[in-house]
Amino acid sequence: MLVLGWEAAVAAGLLREAFFPRPSTVLVHARRLIADGTLLGHAGPTLVRIAWAFSLAAGLGVTVGLAMGLWRRLREGLDPVFAVVYPIPSILFLPLVSFVVPRGEAALVLTTAVTSFFLIAFTTTEGVRQIDPLVVEAARHYGARGRRLFTAVLLPGALPYIFTGLRLGLGYALIVVVAVEIVNASRGLGALLWLSWQVLKVEDMYATFFVIAALGAVLSYGLAALRTHLLPWAQDVADR
Amino acid sequence: MKVEVDDVTVAFESRGRRVVALERISLQVPAGEFLCLVGPSGSGKSTLLRVVAGLLRQTSGTVRIDAERPGTPATAMVFQEHALLPWRTVLANVAFGLENRGVGRAEREARAREMLALVGLSRFARHYPHQLSGGMKQRVGIARALANDPEVLLMDEPFAALDAQTRTIMQEEVLRIWATLGKTVIYVTHSLEEALLLGDRVVLMTARPGRVSQVFPVDLGRPRGLEVRASQAYGVLLEKIWAQLRDEVVRAMGEDREGAHP
Repeated sequence: MLVLGWEAAVAAGLLREAFFPRPSTVLVHARRLIADGTLLGHAGPTLVRIAWAFSLAAGLGVTVGLAMGLWRRLREGLDPVFAVVYPIPSILFLPLVSFVVPRGEAALVLTTAVTSFFLIAFTTTEGVRQIDPLVVEAARHYGARGRRLFTAVLLPGALPYIFTGLRLGLGYALIVVVAVEIVNASRGLGALLWLSWQVLKVEDMYATFFVIAALGAVLSYGLAALRTHLLPWAQDVADR
Repeated sequence: MKVEVDDVTVAFESRGRRVVALERISLQVPAGEFLCLVGPSGSGKSTLLRVVAGLLRQTSGTVRIDAERPGTPATAMVFQEHALLPWRTVLANVAFGLENRGVGRAEREARAREMLALVGLSRFARHYPHQLSGGMKQRVGIARALANDPEVLLMDEPFAALDAQTRTIMQEEVLRIWATLGKTVIYVTHSLEEALLLGDRVVLMTARPGRVSQVFPVDLGRPRGLEVRASQAYGVLLEKIWAQLRDEVVRAMGEDREGAHP
């Protein structure tokens, strides 16, 4: 609908074609970018960066989040640090990170991972905290202690929240990686977008734009589908 | 004696004040008895149950449970809000205690299926708790407790959250299961009618601090069904306990009012 409206608006002269090319034109350009390998050449590095950054953020975020959920002391200690660091726009970590690790891929990946890490850690912590204490008490009563309590009760209890965190974190990784690529990369979808804009290849810019949006949708829905598959027990208010 | 509660006191600090939840409670429960604890809210009946279950440590006194068979737990509790694990199927919930004790898969699932059959839920083994009604969830809670083959079955207002019709059906279920298995049961309720329908004895507790007010034997015969409510003996006993309970409730409410406006 949106795309059709856009097409019509351009055709009717409501939008200037120089800045808002018709979606059909964009499609043609997208086809060409795919055919000559440009798009794939840029999408590859972006996907690799997201994969690394997301794995890093998910691994560390879930671990730290679980620990914060289980140990009040740790949570109270880290909360103020998180509160200060979390709202800093992710892109600003790039120079910071560049002081620590060599500029280049590692810096891009680390910067991309920062905000995702916080999101995943936050939601995981909340996931542990919101488990019904009565369920935990009952599980203990029926002999679940230590490791067993963790694997059979606390971890599965936190999983719906962890999945929410992963979905948010993955979305953020995509947002940040594009921003970082705009600032500091010669390859990647962000770089392609920016380059197209600078040389006023507006159609290519839009083509890249749509590819990024589609990528975001695929990743997000992929995780959502995975959640439904893995957590059949998680009830949905909307299903009632 | 199956259960001996001797001089048990539970006290804790709340906002700088010492609150006595249970004061010097002593009770003996013979093997196979169905004992009901009733009393106004705040009388510590659930607290007492938790102490017997080992979920709460008493401040002083002792609880002794006669456990003849090694390897089985002394108590198993049916919780008020069912407290099933939402991420486990009905079958896996019932088998949970056995699983924690290292019983092999085939054996624990066979046992769990047996208990599900006993509570009439065989068809729902693969369902998740959220797919069941309140009454069915509580049946699972009972099956979960029984699967552990405990010395004493503890029930903490198990049907308080159910509608009246379902509750009545569940009460008859409990009587049937108890007659089948002959377990010692300690059952907490705030309903005198329920206590008289189910119990061999009714222990009336007082509020703040929780003490044993009086113990009433229920001589209404067995097997007992809902028709017992029509008998004269039932009415007389109900009135007798109610008269005593009324005093306790009024006293507790009076104290609440004082507490609200010091």
